Amino acid sequence: MSKWFFLFIILLSESVSYGQNRHTISGIIKESRTGESLIGATVYLLELPRTASLSNSYGFYSISAPKGNYTLIISFSGFIPDSVKINLDKDLSQPIEMVQRNTELQEVVVSSVRQTDNVRKPLMGVLKLSAKEIQDMPVIFGEKDILKSLQLLPGVQSAGDGGSGFYVRGGTTDQNLILLDEATVYNPSHLLGFFSTFNSDAIKDVTLYKGAIPAEYGGRLASVLDVRMNDGNSKEYQVSGGLGLISSRLNVEGPIEKDNGSFIVSARRTYADLFLKLSKDTNTKNSSLYFYDINAKANYKLGDKDHIYLSGYFGKDFLGLGNSFGIDYGNTTATFRWNHIFNSRLFSNTSLIYSKYNYDIDVTSGNNDVAINSFIRDYHFKEDMQYFVGSGNKINFGLDVIGITTSPGVITAAPQSDNFNSISVPDKHAIESALYFSQEIALSEKLNINYGLRAGLFTVLGPGAFYTYDSAGYAVDTANYGSGQIVKNYFNLEPRFSMSYQLTGNSSVKFAYARTTQNLHLLSNSTSSNPTDVWIPSSNNVKPEIADQVSVGWFRNFKENQYEFSTEIYYRNMQNQIDYKNGAQLIANVNVESQLIFGKGRSYGLELFIKKKYGQLSGWISYTLSRTERQFTQVNNDSWYPANQDRTNNLAVVGIYKLNKKWTLSADLVYYTGNAVSWPSGKYEVNGQAAFVYVERNGYRMPSYNRLDIGVTLQGKKTKKFESNWNFSLYNAYGRENPYSISFQQDPGDPSKTQAVQWSLFRWVPSVTYNFKFL
Amino acid sequence: MKVLTPITFILIFLFYSCQKVVTLKLNTIPPQIVIQGEVTDSAGPYSITINQTVDFYADNVFPPVSGAIVKISDDEGYTDSLTEFSPGIYSTHGLQGKAGHTYTLSVFAQNTNYSAVSTMPMPVKLDSVTLEITSGFGMQRINAIVNFQDPPGIANYYQFQEYINGQLFNKEIFIFDDRLSDGKYISATLRTDSSYLKSGDQLKVNMFSIDQNVYNYFLQLRQSSGTGAFNSTASPANPTSNISGGALGYFSAHTTQSQIITVY
Repeated sequence: MSKWFFLFIILLSESVSYGQNRHTISGIIKESRTGESLIGATVYLLELPRTASLSNSYGFYSISAPKGNYTLIISFSGFIPDSVKINLDKDLSQPIEMVQRNTELQEVVVSSVRQTDNVRKPLMGVLKLSAKEIQDMPVIFGEKDILKSLQLLPGVQSAGDGGSGFYVRGGTTDQNLILLDEATVYNPSHLLGFFSTFNSDAIKDVTLYKGAIPAEYGGRLASVLDVRMNDGNSKEYQVSGGLGLISSRLNVEGPIEKDNGSFIVSARRTYADLFLKLSKDTNTKNSSLYFYDINAKANYKLGDKDHIYLSGYFGKDFLGLGNSFGIDYGNTTATFRWNHIFNSRLFSNTSLIYSKYNYDIDVTSGNNDVAINSFIRDYHFKEDMQYFVGSGNKINFGLDVIGITTSPGVITAAPQSDNFNSISVPDKHAIESALYFSQEIALSEKLNINYGLRAGLFTVLGPGAFYTYDSAGYAVDTANYGSGQIVKNYFNLEPRFSMSYQLTGNSSVKFAYARTTQNLHLLSNSTSSNPTDVWIPSSNNVKPEIADQVSVGWFRNFKENQYEFSTEIYYRNMQNQIDYKNGAQLIANVNVESQLIFGKGRSYGLELFIKKKYGQLSGWISYTLSRTERQFTQVNNDSWYPANQDRTNNLAVVGIYKLNKKWTLSADLVYYTGNAVSWPSGKYEVNGQAAFVYVERNGYRMPSYNRLDIGVTLQGKKTKKFESNWNFSLYNAYGRENPYSISFQQDPGDPSKTQAVQWSLFRWVPSVTYNFKFL
Repeated sequence: MKVLTPITFILIFLFYSCQKVVTLKLNTIPPQIVIQGEVTDSAGPYSITINQTVDFYADNVFPPVSGAIVKISDDEGYTDSLTEFSPGIYSTHGLQGKAGHTYTLSVFAQNTNYSAVSTMPMPVKLDSVTLEITSGFGMQRINAIVNFQDPPGIANYYQFQEYINGQLFNKEIFIFDDRLSDGKYISATLRTDSSYLKSGDQLKVNMFSIDQNVYNYFLQLRQSSGTGAFNSTASPANPTSNISGGALGYFSAHTTQSQIITVY
């Protein structure tokens, strides 16, 4: 303890000493044509390379240095590097506008520019994607999807063919914190996972943290996916969109006041179900299957020091079968943010955030009319302060408070209904709060560290009855709490630490440790993600999930930073993992917690990643070798067994080839080991029908998966006022029948035999999309 | 309540591109003992079947277990020793099942003791069997609806069987519990995946009032047919049996009644 305290004093005193005789240059970095702020651009003084710092989520940067004449260098991937001569004799404000490169073909490597942030920064286990990067990649259903592109990166795996769900380093899908402009997106999928909720038109920046998760984030075990929406063009009006076979998009943006404020509205709708209307059959005709979503954002600059942002998302899915069954579900989020620059070094952001996910089911049959409703909703306050101390030294601290309400299920039966009673599983209430602090600091020319601490408190609140269960799952005790009464407090300290040591100018080793906790748990016990999966908070029975992860990596850039190579090894230990009893009843069950079992998990792996960043051919190869295991007293005699999402090998190859100014070709190849599954080994007979004998959980493997997708982008004539392109994609180009699931049954042709039947989803899914943009 | 069935149906319709029989490398396992049997409130004799499991790819021929000592006793002090009537099938002699009574099965076979307890619930009257015709997505289906009054205030579990022209329809397990429907007048559809019932068929529907353990057995059995299609359980396993000692199967004391209709 005293050692840590000592270190802390040293770091702090260094911070203080920086404060003397130094001046600061600060400002916002923007894109020249649209005025969009740029996240993560590198800024440094040529004469003092140690000053390097990145622009924050709002494009703000700040650098301090002793009095003198300097050259300020700004670089950002995909943009022409910029330099500004400055005379630093007082605190300066220097807004920067960067110019986007026309095409990758014309990329000029400016050797004086250091594009080695991936090597120098202590951040590891961080993946970034921009909408621009994925625009030429082949897609399924003609819809660019940031979540599906992420699945091609190391440590990230697809949760199912064609789906947007993903696993990070052995975590389950609910162990990813998915944020859209800071609002939690509780169900990031449309159409049961085949589309994600993220409309790529509306998205500026996507960052996935899978290793060293910064202290400002908390609440999930495995990863944080931070998605930031575009601010909207603050220079001129712009209309863009895309027409596809299954869906279409439209995007409108423009200035509210030139250079001071802008808005953007982006909407999509699918219409794959329209052909149902052509049917003569009334039941088919009245069926529906579609979704729409809208992203909207506005921002306005109130003077030099204040900037406000208002953004929101609204999406809804509709699935209906005739007049007898209907479900609609979707997310709603709203974020209000206020950036305040206290001075050239202290940047503050205050956020008020609302998020809700709900589903409504309506079942009508005979004289039954039954509705089922469920939701999860949160109100979130976040205060984040960034203090730019000096060269490579930045302090980040803040406060996070989230009030959460979940309504696991209310069944409303119309009074005349047969069959069903109205039943209400009471709402659950909780408050998740946290204080955090972190500091990024360059201890020497070569050694960078980032340490931090997140102190989280999860408060389970009444009203409600809280049950205690015996091992058979029967309630043995009930405690009743009134409204606002505290049922349980869970306090957790989450230390975060990462460091990088630069070996040479273009290579480094890194180390990271992070503890994460999770107090909201998604109950899902089926092979696919369901809109009806329910979130429950920690309680007297359900303990917080806790994970500790260490990772070590080696980073190296080659050939003037044209190639980036990295390898990471990780080990993650997980406590209080959740699984389900056989035949668990998860829907509308007051005693749902009695259906759960608790155990441990661990995952470890090796990730390799090589990326060619620019040139006529760009792309990457990503390979992951990993293992994910679980241990539950009630399963496989308490021995470790592979988790459902355990996949030994995972390979993705992505290539984008710019043939000329008009044509771009692209392809990606995916291979992975099949999931661990439970298959029967024997059988017996019940009432003349085969019943199956299972020997162990997840003792078998699905066959391996592989797929090639190809894509072609044809650029249309480009004028000052109009741009367009055609995108053709073929998903699963060689039509492999990848197994989606395997089920077991009596042979319909020969009742004396049983057989295994494999189901496959997508073979040769072609798509065409026409994209346009009016300026 | 299986709300997800319609979603599954829509998805299969839209996305499933193909289905084929595959041959998997499945392990060979040592035979395990399977005990199944029932006591009902209709006249005996009742029978208990004891046989063994076989490997998945073997023929559906299950070796009988002969020479077992099988007894069923009620809660009034009567014990019936069963006789092996044909290989692996053991029959009662004088036992008469009665609603509200508890029955204990004990089996000694292959040097192991097995036992099970089941309580026969009170009967619930099956009012009528009606038919429902639905169409959509190019299919027309006829399903039977069972109509009955669920007694309020107690947990009830039901099992149904369909005999189509005298032949047991065993592709679906029909069970129902009143967890969400206590005290209601129930009209439950015996939903089948495709059109098995045709106009002119003679349909006999059996209704059993079963106990909770037996209900759970069939509920889990229904979920255990593989890491199957959409929305099937992610971790299928052997259903929890009410037979202790490590045997597969179940022992059910249940009431029984039936109705016969002609499909129109």
